[in-house]
Amino acid sequence: MSEREGGPGELGASRRALALAGPRVAALLLGVTSVVWAAVPLPAAGWPSFALAVAAACVAAGSLRLALLEVPEPQEAYFLTLPERMWSGFLSAVRTPAWEEVGCAAMLWLEVLHPSHAWHTAVLGAALVAWLLAVHIAESGVAAAALLRRQARVLLLGLGLLALGAAAALLPAASGGGAIALQILAVIAVTAAAVLVLPS
Amino acid sequence: MTPPPAVGTATREVPVRWRLSRHGRRLLTLAIAGLLLAVLNRRPELVGVAAPALLLLGAGGLGVAAARPPRVAVRIWPGSGRLFEGEPSWLDVDARELATGYDLRWNFHPGKGIVPESAMTVTAANAAGAARFAFTVPRWGKRQAGTAELILHDRWRLAEGRAVVALPSLDVFPRPGVQEAVVTLSRLPNRLGEHAARAQGEGTEFFGLREYVPGDRQRQINWPASTRRGRLMVSTHPAERSQDVVLLVDATSDVGKPGTSALDLGLRGASATARAHLERRDRVGVITYQWGGAEWLAPSLGRRQVYKIIDAMLHADASWSRGSSFARLPRAALPPGALVVAFSPLLDQRFVESLRDLRERGFALVVVDVLNEVPQPRLPVLGWSLSSPPAGRLATVTLAVGGVDEMARRLWRMEQHAIRFSLRELGVPVVHWNGTEPLDLPLAPYSRRPLVVRR
Repeated sequence: MSEREGGPGELGASRRALALAGPRVAALLLGVTSVVWAAVPLPAAGWPSFALAVAAACVAAGSLRLALLEVPEPQEAYFLTLPERMWSGFLSAVRTPAWEEVGCAAMLWLEVLHPSHAWHTAVLGAALVAWLLAVHIAESGVAAAALLRRQARVLLLGLGLLALGAAAALLPAASGGGAIALQILAVIAVTAAAVLVLPS
Repeated sequence: MTPPPAVGTATREVPVRWRLSRHGRRLLTLAIAGLLLAVLNRRPELVGVAAPALLLLGAGGLGVAAARPPRVAVRIWPGSGRLFEGEPSWLDVDARELATGYDLRWNFHPGKGIVPESAMTVTAANAAGAARFAFTVPRWGKRQAGTAELILHDRWRLAEGRAVVALPSLDVFPRPGVQEAVVTLSRLPNRLGEHAARAQGEGTEFFGLREYVPGDRQRQINWPASTRRGRLMVSTHPAERSQDVVLLVDATSDVGKPGTSALDLGLRGASATARAHLERRDRVGVITYQWGGAEWLAPSLGRRQVYKIIDAMLHADASWSRGSSFARLPRAALPPGALVVAFSPLLDQRFVESLRDLRERGFALVVVDVLNEVPQPRLPVLGWSLSSPPAGRLATVTLAVGGVDEMARRLWRMEQHAIRFSLRELGVPVVHWNGTEPLDLPLAPYSRRPLVVRR
């Protein structure tokens, strides 16, 4: 069977392309979802709008970086033409900044800028972790199933703590400044204890 | 993959710089941002947001920090320590001791003049953590292969270690030209070799006939000639001798495009001549004539001498430097009666004077002219405007510059013709070689019969 008729070569190539594009598309979708989730309800003008713009730009630029991951930079030469120099500068501008870090911080900031429920924040936290994992899988090229299987226990425990934090915030008895501080300390203590007891 | 045994295997211990990976930095940012905002805004659910990131960092990264090796042993196998320009070669690298527990990735940063022929980033998926980088070197010289960067990732890819290994230097030899026939002198030193001399001896080639005298060996009797003449005739053979050959490479002027410049052709031609003469058991030496002096290698025999000669020529430096100039070449490098084959564009007057001096000292000389470039005019010559000059001064000035340029070119060409003519007048054959055809073609008039030299 020839490759034109859909032979094994073509199937392999399409699988490879799918394996390459899948994590990148997933990262893009998770990033967009996180931004939208953090932005709901839609913020008024001012700092919330600024945080939203920063978060959206970071997700877009991070996705662009993932899309251009395999594009080689122009070879070092003494005299690059103007288009080559511009292309090299563009690649460098897309690849160098830490888009995801800034995006995470902006989304969390956006979340605290408007009143939201604790469960809303917890879902955002889960989405952010998923986004970061997807970005990591896309850029490193590791097998997603193997990576998630290896980290499954830790991730489940982390999600448990995330739920615990949300539940602590939802407790009706927890009102007043001292109580909230105690809640925060309690969640930090539980997290630290979990880190210490986890097998390496 | 079992690494093949190759030249120059080297094991080097290099330090590893460990730091958080990009993934680790992102998780750390998420955790810090969550904790900070939780404290500032008194919202405990934000600590929960930081919890998965902290857990991943704690369980995957910090727990194994102590086990990270501060140094790593890297082995390097060059495919060949010596290669010819344009010849494909490769470098194998591995970090066998680290292969378990870490994901290894190699980045190849080629040195100047090294053209990679394979992927420059290789993920070592095999057990030995090995990678191979293929490359070519388009131009001769001593080249640094570059550096190989080893990137180590721990099990969860939260920490990243980087180690940089300097790759070995490569001796890239000029691609030798093609030469089969050699120039042979009419007077050869009394040393056993493969060239048929004019004197009678114990060689294998046919030299002549003479009458049989008692004492001659029976196997020397030429029976067909004896039958024709009716008396016993014996065949005589010439003596077989070797000669001393000195290659004179002019490195003072490197004109032309890189890859086909005068120095490139000079080195390729000298390599070809050295090979051809050494295959005939001649003693071959080399003198590299350059600014500030000359480097030489005394004539010697054997296959290794080819590499010694090329190695000596690799030091040729065409760049200008202040130093003592001289017209007389070193006596130690020129055995009496040696054949001198010079490769030069004949642009440096000092070199031409050296050739004249050699000729006056009685050496047999053959000059291979490797100049294939002529100066290009800066402005086109507008011949039509002479007959109908346009109005205005500008056109007149343009014509004048173009005319001067062309005149300078003509003068330069005449000077070059004069240099070659003067050498021929001294009895020095000058042949031109363009670098693409075999050297046998320009040397054919002098390689068909022994070169007779007037002392």
